[in-house]
Amino acid sequence: MNKASTQQITTIPAPPAAVSPLRPARRSEHFGLLKKWLKPLASLRLTVGLFVLSMFLIFCGTLAQMDNGLWAVLSGYFRAFIAWIPFQVFVRFGQVFFWFPKTWYVSGSFPFPGGYLLGGALLLNLLAAHLVRFRISWKRSGILLTHAGLIVLMLGELITGLFAVEGMMVIPTGESSNYVIHTDKTELAIIDPSGPQTDHVVVVPGSMLKQRQGREWIRDERLPFDIEVIRYMVNSSEPRKVKPGEKNPATAGVGREGIVDEERPGRGVDAEQRIDMAAAYLTFHAKDTGASLGTYLTTPWIDEEQSVKVNGKEYRVTLRLQREYKPYTLHLEEFRHDLYPGTDIPLNFSSKVRLIDPEYNVDREVLIYMNNPLRYRGATFYQADWIRSPQGDRGTKLQVVTNPAWLMPYFSCAMVALGMTIHFGMHLVSFLRRRTTP
Amino acid sequence: MNDLAKIFPWLVVGAAVLVLIFALMPPSIGTDKINLQEFAALPVIHDGRMKPLDSVARTTLLTLSNRQDYKDENGKTRPAIQWLLEVMAHKESARRVQIFRIENDQVLAQLGLEARPLWWRYSVEELSGKIDLILEHAMAAQKLKSENRDLYQQKIIELARHLELYSRLASLEAPLMVPPADNNGSWQSLLQAFTELRQNQDQSNPAAHTLLVLLHAYSHDDAQTFNKTVAAYHQEMEKRFPTEVRRTDFELFFNHFEPFYQCTLLYLSVFLLCCLSWFGWSRPLIRSAFWLTVLALLIHTWALLARMYLMNRWGVFVMNLYSTAVFIGWTCVLLGLVLEWLYPIGIGVVVASAGGAITTLISHHLAASSGDTLGVLQAVLDTNFWLATHVTCMNLGYGATFVAGILGILYILRGVLTSSLDKATAKALTTMLYGAVCFATLLSFTGTVLGGIWADQSWGRFWGWDPKENGAVLIVLWNALILHARWGGMVQARGMAVLSIIGNMVTGWSWFGTNQLQVGLHTYGFSNTLAFGLVIGWALHAVVLVMGLLPLRWWASQDTLLLSKPMPSENTLPAVKRHGKRSAKRSEAGYFAGPA
Repeated sequence: MNKASTQQITTIPAPPAAVSPLRPARRSEHFGLLKKWLKPLASLRLTVGLFVLSMFLIFCGTLAQMDNGLWAVLSGYFRAFIAWIPFQVFVRFGQVFFWFPKTWYVSGSFPFPGGYLLGGALLLNLLAAHLVRFRISWKRSGILLTHAGLIVLMLGELITGLFAVEGMMVIPTGESSNYVIHTDKTELAIIDPSGPQTDHVVVVPGSMLKQRQGREWIRDERLPFDIEVIRYMVNSSEPRKVKPGEKNPATAGVGREGIVDEERPGRGVDAEQRIDMAAAYLTFHAKDTGASLGTYLTTPWIDEEQSVKVNGKEYRVTLRLQREYKPYTLHLEEFRHDLYPGTDIPLNFSSKVRLIDPEYNVDREVLIYMNNPLRYRGATFYQADWIRSPQGDRGTKLQVVTNPAWLMPYFSCAMVALGMTIHFGMHLVSFLRRRTTP
Repeated sequence: MNDLAKIFPWLVVGAAVLVLIFALMPPSIGTDKINLQEFAALPVIHDGRMKPLDSVARTTLLTLSNRQDYKDENGKTRPAIQWLLEVMAHKESARRVQIFRIENDQVLAQLGLEARPLWWRYSVEELSGKIDLILEHAMAAQKLKSENRDLYQQKIIELARHLELYSRLASLEAPLMVPPADNNGSWQSLLQAFTELRQNQDQSNPAAHTLLVLLHAYSHDDAQTFNKTVAAYHQEMEKRFPTEVRRTDFELFFNHFEPFYQCTLLYLSVFLLCCLSWFGWSRPLIRSAFWLTVLALLIHTWALLARMYLMNRWGVFVMNLYSTAVFIGWTCVLLGLVLEWLYPIGIGVVVASAGGAITTLISHHLAASSGDTLGVLQAVLDTNFWLATHVTCMNLGYGATFVAGILGILYILRGVLTSSLDKATAKALTTMLYGAVCFATLLSFTGTVLGGIWADQSWGRFWGWDPKENGAVLIVLWNALILHARWGGMVQARGMAVLSIIGNMVTGWSWFGTNQLQVGLHTYGFSNTLAFGLVIGWALHAVVLVMGLLPLRWWASQDTLLLSKPMPSENTLPAVKRHGKRSAKRSEAGYFAGPA
């Protein structure tokens, strides 16, 4: 048989017509090879395995929130390639549900695939499955639509994780604001108030302060002095009085009267929405002589800016939540916070603001309330909180989010719901038809 | 016998209707007796909404005593409104009725009270000398973080809260009973109104005066004055607030009828009928069970709609933990009936009655711990659109997952314990289970993503990895896992049954478990009893799970099941062999095909 075929090729040159049908065959051979490689990746066993792993990760990530802040869990479990899961989370689970003693503590942790790894693997698995078994038919349209919707959802979550920015805008009643503060970041602002109209501000990010803690000084020509970071705390308690005999690191400024204690990072999405209040003990040094200008306590707990004098010139310093300036202004006309009669259950929260954007000639009134945000120039403003004071409500706090992927879940939801309805609907119809016509 | 079999279902349903009509009848009132009904109907404002006084009495008593009625000094059962009236009129007898439920032995020992097993209720008089002690201990416990309090401290805080609730009623601080003199003013409590009445007699609020006369008449057992005054006052209120009073009157009727309680009784009866049907005469019994479930579902549906009317939120089935239970129950019953209609073999009715009874029983427990089940919603939840879409979808998904789980339990219990799981039944059970899982996947996914979109609308983040959100996504993943494991031929009928039982455990975690962690944005409904109940539920499921994993040769139904081929191929599910290479090949064909 083999021999015969060899003979045929040597004696008669293959006509072009005989070659052409070979081409698609060879192509499918390549494709077949690809399929062979993709097949294990496309396996349904892998899908089920990944589901189990994902569920375990989510379960642990839920339990971990009892001890860690949401942001820590987010970056440690879900927006991570490898998650280190402490054994303590299971002890905590036992304490809530199985009468484990409250004092139990188990140290140590084990590595586990994180959200990015599992999400990526699921995505690959899904794509491979569709490549290997690629076939368009009405019968499979529902599944295709469902899976496409899931891809949109996962990509949306990825884009959100990478690019979404959250912040807060605080406006006292009757005043205006044009900047957003980023509650998860701090900055040290060194303000030169000598300018006739505007202050000149140099900022050092909090992350840099943290990095230089106890290490080399921060030196930069734009800074009027060198900065030595004695201590940096990611979160701190409200300043308290110094106890007699207690050592206070601060030697200048308001820090001489009060002292702060380090706190573990708070729970991000707590019902109270607490923000991490960083604190830093900084020693400023004159650039030329290196002489100390004093050690200051800087923290967002302290509202006023502290004065530092170098070579007879006054600067003001403050560690504040990072600010981002917007090209438009919001002016708060009225903030309302009503209660149901005879209770302290909130009936509504709303902020009547005036949106002023000279660039686009916008000047209009907007009502922002629960479940009804303002979307403007890529940012969304939500009613989040209000400024409390003993005299009553003094203004509003708006959550400001910039998320390029905010619409993707809307598309995804529609696609998946429609896809599943089509797929399961077809089964249901054929099932019912079989029943009626046996 | 044959005729009896035919009319038996109608007899059962007819008897049930008679019982219900009896429950609907208003209690009779003699002319010389106090007209409690009229008093119960008076509209007041309490916990932020207008409701009949009857609701105040019932929810308070339910919170204090875990009952909606009480026993007077002679041991006779009396309605809650009578207790409230006695408390408000400062009758001596009110101090002697035993209404504070205290079960904790440490609390009882600390207060020097005798244990009253099976009753556990104590009167104000018995507690009166100990109030300072209770408050002192409660204040001390209050300073601890809630997770660090021990059982005694939790219970003493609870008791202190109950005493406060009582004293607010007794001192007439709550509810807000007196409507404003003109329509611009706000409602006042009787305490405020009486103080004003004393200060300036001439400019007083006439309503306050009427209510004073009413309480006075009651404390002097003057039924005639009381009845005349209360009827006139009710009419007056009807004229002033026509729509509101129509609603509060309806609420009074709703309270009296107790539709969810009637439903529980009906579901339990259905379950009983199903159990009886396993011993013979099955067709008439199952038919009766079916029609009785239809009757119960009608009442259940009516009750859900009635709640919408009372809240004035059409389309919103669920707005608190209590209503999740009644709505999930409704879903289970509806799905169970559909399954029974498709396969009239007495399985759907078991699912319906078990699901309905368990969830409505849970709801009675939740009502006791939450007080007013129609309570107002705080600002962030105050949106009918999202409550009607996200929350409804989510709970339908929970319900469908539970239905699948109950089917799985039935499959395993019948297979292991009885020899009745034959080929046809197994096939029917598996098809039903598959359908329920498909339905659950669709609804729980849609519900979860809708929740994300709601969060995006109100907080500016689609997905926050909040415990409750994570719980929801676990349900979605688990249902998807069952489907993919099935399509991949990794599990057969029995495997699906086992997986669906884990589905119940996952849903239990999401429904109640995540709330117990006390972190995140959905921190409502924390309670030790719930945590304990959940653990019991998990344990029971684990037992069935282990039974399901027993080798087939230990199953009582092994003969009927082993004789049959692994899975029925036509009509139901994709044909897939058990294990090994061949199954993988077959499974590919089945991947996208689903059950066809």
